[in-house]
Amino acid sequence: MGLSSKNITPFIHPEKTWSKWIGYAGLTIGILLLLVSVQMFLNIRVLLKEEAPRKSGAFDYVSISKVITNQNMGSDNRFSPNDIQLLKNQPEIAGVAPLYSNQFRATASAGNILPFSTDLFLESINPAFLDTLPKDFQWQPGQVDVPVIFSSEFLEMYNVFAPSQGLPQLSPKTISSVNIFLQCSGTRGSQNFRASIIGLTDRVNSILVPQSFLQWANQEFSGDSSTLVSRVYLKTVDANNPVLLKFLDDHGYYINKDKVRFGRIKGLLQNITGAIASLGILMIILALIFFGFYLRLKIARSRENIKLLIALGYSPGWLSGVFSKSFLPVYLALILICLGITEVFQFFFSHLSFAQETVGPYIHWIVLATAGVLLIVTMLINRIMVRSEIRQL
Amino acid sequence: MQLVLKNIDPDYISDTSHSDIWNKEITVTKGEHVHIIAPSGSGKTSLIHFIYGLRTDYKGSIVHDGKNIKNLRAEKKASIRQNSMSIIFQDLRLFDDHTALENIEVKRKLNPFHPPEMIYEMATRMGVANKLPQVIKTCSYGEQQRIAIIRSLMQPFDFLLLDEPFSHLDEENRTKAMELLLEECEKRKAAMIFADLKELDMLKNEKILHL
Repeated sequence: MGLSSKNITPFIHPEKTWSKWIGYAGLTIGILLLLVSVQMFLNIRVLLKEEAPRKSGAFDYVSISKVITNQNMGSDNRFSPNDIQLLKNQPEIAGVAPLYSNQFRATASAGNILPFSTDLFLESINPAFLDTLPKDFQWQPGQVDVPVIFSSEFLEMYNVFAPSQGLPQLSPKTISSVNIFLQCSGTRGSQNFRASIIGLTDRVNSILVPQSFLQWANQEFSGDSSTLVSRVYLKTVDANNPVLLKFLDDHGYYINKDKVRFGRIKGLLQNITGAIASLGILMIILALIFFGFYLRLKIARSRENIKLLIALGYSPGWLSGVFSKSFLPVYLALILICLGITEVFQFFFSHLSFAQETVGPYIHWIVLATAGVLLIVTMLINRIMVRSEIRQL
Repeated sequence: MQLVLKNIDPDYISDTSHSDIWNKEITVTKGEHVHIIAPSGSGKTSLIHFIYGLRTDYKGSIVHDGKNIKNLRAEKKASIRQNSMSIIFQDLRLFDDHTALENIEVKRKLNPFHPPEMIYEMATRMGVANKLPQVIKTCSYGEQQRIAIIRSLMQPFDFLLLDEPFSHLDEENRTKAMELLLEECEKRKAAMIFADLKELDMLKNEKILHL
C-alpha cells in the first residue's frame, strides 16, 4: 500500500494525557540509569584491570600458606600430599600448584658490575600457573645456565634499596642483561651456575627456576626428594567466593588478604553498578507499562474511527505500523538525550584524578549498542501492544 | 470473478423457508445486477455485512474468488475491500467530525480509481459540490447519503454492495445517483448487489431476489 500515514493521522485523535508524560519521564530516567550503569561498569573494569595481575582470563590465582601461630610455630607447617589432594577435591578450586623450594643453600652474586652477594631462595611451580613463560625457561642436567623468572615486586623492592647500598637501579629490560653467579651448596657438594633473569612475573612473589633444575639440585646437593611445600598456588574462578574463603579459614590456611580485599571492592562496585542497571531496567519496564495504558487510551478514544478505517479497507497491520511509528521520533529523541547526558557524565568522570590516565572521555561502543538495542526493543514492544489492541477492536 | 452464497442461514432468523436467499445457493457474476427486496427487519443489512465480511454469525459460506470470506484473515479482508468490493452502508458510516471531501479522500487515497478532480465532478452531478468543504455532521442526511455514494465509487471493485442507498433521496436525486452507480459499475464491469425495501424500476437486467 503506497499510502502515507498523513492520510489517517487526522482520524486518530491526538491525545494529551498525564500518563503520556509520566511514561516519557520514566523512560528517560530508566534509559539514563541503564546507559550510565553500563558505562560505569566498563569504566570500573578498565580502572581495575591494571591492578589485577592475578586475574588471567576467567581465573584468579592466589597463593596460600599455613597460618603460623605461637602454638604451631615449632611443628612442620608445610603442605603434605594429602593436604594438596584435599585442595584439589574442592569444587571451587580449578587447579592447585605447589611451590617447591630449594633444600640447599643458594648464594647469588653479580660479579664486578654489581658488587653484592646474597643468600636467596629458589622456588619452582607448574609452568601453567605462570603469567609470563618465556620459551627458554627450561633446564637440563649438565646445563650451566639457569633461567630465572623474577617477581616484579622484588625488582621494585630492589630498586628502592639499591641507591642506599651504592647499587645501580635496574629497569625490567636491563635486569635481563645482568649476569648472576649462582652458587648452590649442600651436604653433598656444591656447584656454580650462571643465572639470568629471562622474565618478570606479577603473579608469583618468588624467584622461580625450572622444576627440572630444582628437583635435580635438591637431590644433588641435599639428597632431598621430599614433596612437602610451604606455599601453594590456587587457580579459582573467584578468589572472593565465600565458600572457598570459609574452607581456607577452617583449615587454617592463610590467603593474601590484600589481593582478596581488592577483588572484594571490585566485586562490590560491580554489584552496585549492576543494581543501578537493574533499577534502570525496572524503570524502563514500568515506563513501558505506562505507555501501554496511554496507547490503550489513545486507541480507545479513536476506537470508532479506527473501526471505520478498517471497514473502509485499511489494513489493521498497516494501521498498527502507523500508530507505533508515530512514537519513533519521541523514542529516538529520548535515547539521544540520554546518550548525550551519559557522554557528559563520562567526560567529567574521565577528568577525575584517578581516572585520567585510563578512562577515555567518550562513551564506549557497548553503551551505544545498548541504546540501539533499547530503541529496537521499545519499538517492538510498542508495536506488539498496538497490534493486539487494534486486533481486539 | 464470482460471488457464491451457499446455504446462508443466520443464527438468529428462525423461519427461512420462504426466502430466495437463506439456505439457497446463489451465484453472482461480474457485470450482473442483483436486486434484493425485503421488508425492514428481515436481514438485508445482515446479509450485506456477511458478504462484506463484517459479520460471521451465520451458517453456510460466502465464497469470493474461490475463498470463503468467513475464514479470511483481517489483512486479506482489507485487500478485498480495497480492490474488489465496495459498499454503501445503510447507516452511511462517515467520519462525523471531518469534511465531506476528507471523507471521500480517505477512501480514494487507499486505492485510487479516479483522480481527485472526479470527486468535484461527481459531487456536482449529485448536487453536493458546495457541501464538500463542510463538516459531515452539519450536512443533511440526504447530503450525507450522496457523499457516501461518491465515496464508494472512488476505488476499483468487482462487486458494489448497496444497502438502501437512496432512503433519504427524492425521486430526482435517486435517478441521478442510480445513473452514476450504473455508469461506474459499467466502467469496471462490476456486479451490483442492491438491497432495498421495494422494487426499483431503474435497475436494468436485474435478478430480483426476495429475502
